[in-house]
Amino acid sequence: MEEDGNQKKHRKRQAGPKAEKKKAKNKHQQELTPQQRNPKAFAIQHAQKTAKLIRRTQDIKTKKQHIPLVDRTPLEPPPIVIAIVGPPKVGKSTLLQCIVKNFTKQRLANVQGPVTVVSGKTRRLTLMECNNDINSMIDLAKVADLVLLLVDASFGFEMETFEFLNICQVHGFPRIMGVLTHLDAFKDNKQMRKTKKRLKHRFWTEVYQGAKLFYLSGMVNEEYQKTEVHNLCRFISVMKFRPLQWRLTHPYIVVDRIEDITDPETIRQKPKCDRKLSMYGYVRGTHLKNHSMIHLPGCGDYSISDMQSLPDPCPMPDKEKKKTLHIKERLIYAPMSGVGGVIYDKDAVYIDLGGSHSLKQNVEENDEPMNELVASLMNVNNPLDQKMGTSQMTLFSNTAPITEADIKEDSEADDEEGTARVRRSADFNDVAATNQKQEKQTEDLVFDDSDEEEESFNLFSNSVKNQTVSSSERTGKMEESVGSESGSDSNSDSDDEETSSKKLKLSRTTGDSKTANSSEIVGANVTLSSSGKNVDTDTPKGLKSDNSNSETEDSDDDMEEEEDDENEEDEESEEEEDSGEDISDEEEEDEEGNLKWKANLAAAAAESFKKRQTERINYRKLIYGKVEEDKEGEEEDDELGGLFKVLKKKDEKNNPNISANMTDSSKCVPDKLQSWELEEIQDLIKDCFVTGNWDKSEDAKALLEQDDELFGDFEDLETGEIHHGDGEDDVDDDEENDDKEDDENADGEPSVRKKTKAEKTAMERRMEKKKKLKELFDNEYDMKGDNEFYDNWKLANEEQAKLNRAEFENMEDSLRVGYEGFRPGMYVRVELDRLPCELINNFDATYPLILGGQQSVEGNIGYVQTRLKKHRWYKKILKSRNPLIISLGWRRFQSIPLYSIQDHNFRNRLLKYTPQHLHCHACFWGPITPQGTGLLAVESLTGSEPGFRIAATGVVLELDKSMQIVKKLKLTGTPYKIYKKTAFVQGMFNSMLEVTKFEGAKIRTVSGIRGQVKKALKTPEGAFRATFEDKILLSDIVFMRTWYPVEVPQFYATVTSLLLPPAEKAAWVGMKTLGQLKRERSIMAPPKEDSLYKPVERKKRYEPTLKIPKDLQKMLPFKDTPKVLKAKEDPYKRVAVILEPHEAKVNKMMKMVQNLYRHKLKSDKMRMRERVSKHQKEMDRIGVIKARKQKQVKKDIYRALGKLQKKNEKYKKD
Amino acid sequence: MSGGNIMSFEGCNYFRQRLILSTLSGKTVRIKKIRSKEDDPGLKDFEASFIRLLDKLTNGSNIVVNETGTSILYQPGLLVGGKIEHECNTQRSIGYYLEGLTCLAPFTKKPIHAVLKGVTNDQIDPSVDMIKLSTFPVLKRFLGTDEGLELKIVRRGAAPEGGGEVTFSCPCRQKLRPLQFTDPGKIKRIRGVAWAVRVAPVVTNRIVDSARSVLNKFIPDIYIYTDHYKGSQSGKSPGFGLTLVAETINGAFLCAENSSNPKGSDKGPSVPEDIGKETAKLLLEEIYKGGCVDSTNQSMTALFMILGQQDVSKVQTGPLTPYTIQFLRHVYSFFDVMFKIEPQQVSEEDEDLRTGGEKLILTCVGVGYSNISKAVS
Repeated sequence: MEEDGNQKKHRKRQAGPKAEKKKAKNKHQQELTPQQRNPKAFAIQHAQKTAKLIRRTQDIKTKKQHIPLVDRTPLEPPPIVIAIVGPPKVGKSTLLQCIVKNFTKQRLANVQGPVTVVSGKTRRLTLMECNNDINSMIDLAKVADLVLLLVDASFGFEMETFEFLNICQVHGFPRIMGVLTHLDAFKDNKQMRKTKKRLKHRFWTEVYQGAKLFYLSGMVNEEYQKTEVHNLCRFISVMKFRPLQWRLTHPYIVVDRIEDITDPETIRQKPKCDRKLSMYGYVRGTHLKNHSMIHLPGCGDYSISDMQSLPDPCPMPDKEKKKTLHIKERLIYAPMSGVGGVIYDKDAVYIDLGGSHSLKQNVEENDEPMNELVASLMNVNNPLDQKMGTSQMTLFSNTAPITEADIKEDSEADDEEGTARVRRSADFNDVAATNQKQEKQTEDLVFDDSDEEEESFNLFSNSVKNQTVSSSERTGKMEESVGSESGSDSNSDSDDEETSSKKLKLSRTTGDSKTANSSEIVGANVTLSSSGKNVDTDTPKGLKSDNSNSETEDSDDDMEEEEDDENEEDEESEEEEDSGEDISDEEEEDEEGNLKWKANLAAAAAESFKKRQTERINYRKLIYGKVEEDKEGEEEDDELGGLFKVLKKKDEKNNPNISANMTDSSKCVPDKLQSWELEEIQDLIKDCFVTGNWDKSEDAKALLEQDDELFGDFEDLETGEIHHGDGEDDVDDDEENDDKEDDENADGEPSVRKKTKAEKTAMERRMEKKKKLKELFDNEYDMKGDNEFYDNWKLANEEQAKLNRAEFENMEDSLRVGYEGFRPGMYVRVELDRLPCELINNFDATYPLILGGQQSVEGNIGYVQTRLKKHRWYKKILKSRNPLIISLGWRRFQSIPLYSIQDHNFRNRLLKYTPQHLHCHACFWGPITPQGTGLLAVESLTGSEPGFRIAATGVVLELDKSMQIVKKLKLTGTPYKIYKKTAFVQGMFNSMLEVTKFEGAKIRTVSGIRGQVKKALKTPEGAFRATFEDKILLSDIVFMRTWYPVEVPQFYATVTSLLLPPAEKAAWVGMKTLGQLKRERSIMAPPKEDSLYKPVERKKRYEPTLKIPKDLQKMLPFKDTPKVLKAKEDPYKRVAVILEPHEAKVNKMMKMVQNLYRHKLKSDKMRMRERVSKHQKEMDRIGVIKARKQKQVKKDIYRALGKLQKKNEKYKKD
Repeated sequence: MSGGNIMSFEGCNYFRQRLILSTLSGKTVRIKKIRSKEDDPGLKDFEASFIRLLDKLTNGSNIVVNETGTSILYQPGLLVGGKIEHECNTQRSIGYYLEGLTCLAPFTKKPIHAVLKGVTNDQIDPSVDMIKLSTFPVLKRFLGTDEGLELKIVRRGAAPEGGGEVTFSCPCRQKLRPLQFTDPGKIKRIRGVAWAVRVAPVVTNRIVDSARSVLNKFIPDIYIYTDHYKGSQSGKSPGFGLTLVAETINGAFLCAENSSNPKGSDKGPSVPEDIGKETAKLLLEEIYKGGCVDSTNQSMTALFMILGQQDVSKVQTGPLTPYTIQFLRHVYSFFDVMFKIEPQQVSEEDEDLRTGGEKLILTCVGVGYSNISKAVS
């Protein structure tokens, strides 16, 4: 110990290289976070405060989240609609021209309607100017993606600006960019800056804080400054847009070209006839389907009669990597404007933009005509084709006219034939066939008829439908194919023919109803497929149906054969039964038969299944092909039905079909089961079960191996041991052994090579492993937390979007359109029938024409309940039952709303007027529109009133076909007889029946005594017995509170502003309010009798004295007792005094003396008064004299004094 | 509003499809020549009963039937739902009505609580058991959850006289979810219900045994519940039957069922063993056809696929039944939606797997349908 103590301690080096080395080695690393080191410091000290803090951070986080939507933006989006809006004289047209010029380097002189330009490599713009009409503003706000809101800075904001902003708010807020113009009107720079700032802040409060506001300072040569416009355009072309709910779910087209394709002859004959118009434009929003319902705002509801996609007239530039657009790619498309000097015209003459690049375009696209003349011809919408198509040729007086469609159909049928032949494989049920021999002859005859004489036959027969040509021809072809097929088959030809003919017959008897026919076929399919023996044949079935068509049609001719047919029907049904029996017989045979036969059967069955698997049924044709054909057929029927009786006969003939009236059940029970006892058949579904074989990707064993490869080996970090997975063990061991051997042997090159290879694979494996682990970790930890749900949701939506895009991506457009509809971004031509002639006659390109697509449900009308608020800037309040013009969905219409408010018990109580600053419910008869859609109401469309026009805004809450709105109704009656608590009340009801309806109802008196209706009385009519909680008085009024349902008026009228002549377009007037009508016709409302003023007649009131009962008085304290002391009675007066005559004499004397004395006093007084007044007069007179004298004296004295003073003064002066 | 919105059909077949699609699409339907050439022309009682059920379910619908009942005009109103009690005609089982109800139930104003009385099981229509076992899982995929989705068999009533009662409740939704279900996976278990009313309880055991004898070769996990109803719960006619369902690991349910011949039928009484075997074979048949939805539910699945958002929905099915094919045609005429129907491509690796018949992939884009009846606040 001592030694230890004596020894010198080791001192560490404090400096020098060694010390530094050591320091570097033992560098202190903080492995713990501060929170771990000092958890107390981070403990929650204020629970409330922390809770608040957490809540706040969560709030902020959640506020940032939007409900994830599936991204449905198309790959090639339609041009962005830019609406240029502002009051008149603010510079809208100039701006539009400047923007167009900026993009295309061209100046448009006269802009009308939408102008589409290519703005960049990925963007096109459709520019539209909005005129100063609230109709246009509403329509444009519904379709615009970006709004350039022009404001005259020298004037400030105008009403229109705010109106438009409010319209936008209601119909989904598109992007809004403010543009201040007329800034050169300011002389004073400071003034301008101030105005700018003021306007900016006002704009911000309307749109959002920090909304972009552009300034266009002065004009140069009637145009805005180039740099400023350029900047504006750059802003436009990089702008991002938010998807708007309504437009995500509704397709729409902003029409940029319209043609009248009605037959000119009919127009000439009837100028007011309904028109057929074709409209052109880009599909926007979502997929638009052919034949879907559309609404033309300002016109009405129609359904698309036809729709085609056209090549894009203003295509996106090529996807080459270039910085800027080539001048030839800067396209412009504005058919309604006067582009290149030729003006859009009703006769559909539209000439493409002249200039260099249009020529270039022509060269590029071969479809494009070479010159303007051809272009104009082209744009008359293929009139020749159209006419050829619609024209009809009648060969014989009684035949149906032949149209081009027929010929087309022929060719189509041929085509179909071609395709149908591929999937044919003929094998028929032999058993069924054998029974048919006797019928073969007749059937073949019929068949041959149609085959050989198809053309002439059709032409000559009276009862031929157009389609017959095609179908009979088809049958002919079919037969041929059958023949050829059967020839190759081992079966005999005749048998085959027989079967086919039999099938024909069958199908004929079952009829060819459009719907039932092919379903039957498939039913047959199923049965066939399930019966293991039959090598299945789908195509013959298809054939059968086709044939059946022709058959029935042919059979129209031979009406006399009907009876025969019926007989045949019977026979056939028997035959069918027969065949069924046969089958069962066979089954029995099977069961009885020897094993060999059985094995054969199983093999055949297996083969048939295999065959079936390889076969491809064209389901599209099976399901939809028929439908389309049938539709065509129907249309033709419609066209010709009125003219030709033949068709009707045919319909009747078609009618007695059995399949159309079969039992309707979704359960599909196969008639004959496969023989599941057989091993072979059982094996067919062996792998459907978990016990069977699995896919390679899912097989547990394979997966396990794979996992082992990835995760099997790991390194224990503590011990440094390396564990290997089972799968790898052998290899690794080998490797290790090898390594050892290598080490030992110190073998040269081969070992090195091996080693590197092994290492490499190991490295790779490790990398892979790490990756997978990281993924696992990420999945486990990154996703956990508050955002997990949200992130998952987003992810699912993204996946859906990906699928939506990918599903039909590689499909041909013509097919794809059938599945999806016309997708947004396609340029389409839409044909509409039966449009009013005013639409085209009064067409004005400055009014936007929109085709708004909608669901078929949205075409119906019902009661719409909305939450509504009168606009705070609207001067008046709105009155129930006053018509209101409402903009909802695509529509603008007039309807009569009833305002109501919901009580706490969910009763909708009618309001006479909208509340001033509250929301209320408004219910009206209108179009069914999805809940949550915004709406807007105006009282009149004309801008004649100076104030703010938007009367109310709201949102749709509920749709129904009936509405329960009630108003309060008080029934009053009077009691006419009262017992203790029972009273008989009359005057409330008119009959016993009414009373019985209200038995048990609550009633009340004015004084607040509650009661109940008990029972009706016989007399007087309508009286009833009622009980109350207390005795009521006869003078009480008894009343009952009830609710009376109010009907919402069923009035709905579309605002047809587009149909009005141009001068009146802005002033559509619908139903007028009662007030307006009265004002117009100066009708005064008749005053109510009760409201007239009359002189008040008041009865004199008799006030009863207050009487306090004696008992009560006794109990009262003395202070409160009434102190009405009785006047002390004169004790003498009480006795009637009868005087003696003497006494009476004395008394009389005394009275006289008294009277005399009184009279004396009185006269003395009178005299005294007289004297006094006389004396007074005297004194007055004396006083006057005295005063005069005194005055004189005073005068004298003052005069003397004055003189004296003067004298003194004089003296002094002197 | 627009008069051109009328669809015309002929014949009584697919009567339900037409009325249901009409109700959902809002298009007016006219059906003419209903059994016009038969001895007993016009609508049958069960169809009239179905119309009455629709009338209870909707508000403001206008139904005009001509004197002979051979023609009907149906102007649909808005679906209301709520509490409904309906005496179903005994010519068809409750399944006939319930199928219609399930198609409409997600789009009502208020969640449906329906009490249906009549025949619970017969040989024509899917029974209530089948609907519960195979339709509900499909419905659940579209609704998102099966909360509030319930079918309770209060009383069982066999054909022909019925006397059964079921309660059906279904939540309503603003929008349905798109469905992507193309891999049913392997069958992991088979479950079932063997029921008997007004016959000896041992019948159920006999059914179970015979069914198991067929199915045991394929999978060991089989459990068939025996369900014997007594007393007031047993309806008016005797009967027994079996419903089997095969559940896959991905939650597809394939269902098959069979029941005894109704009392007084000309086929004579059924033997329980036969029923059991037959049903087991039907199930195997159904498994052979395969798909993510069984053949009974194909049409309903297709309907909900198109009534979703404008997203792509995909489902794998077995071969289409005639009923489905007609339904797809009707869907095309009512909603203008076509289905892309393609046989499923089998990868080379899996070609040697024996998984039954050819499968189809049905693909469609939803029409962006939303429930217009349900109120929002």
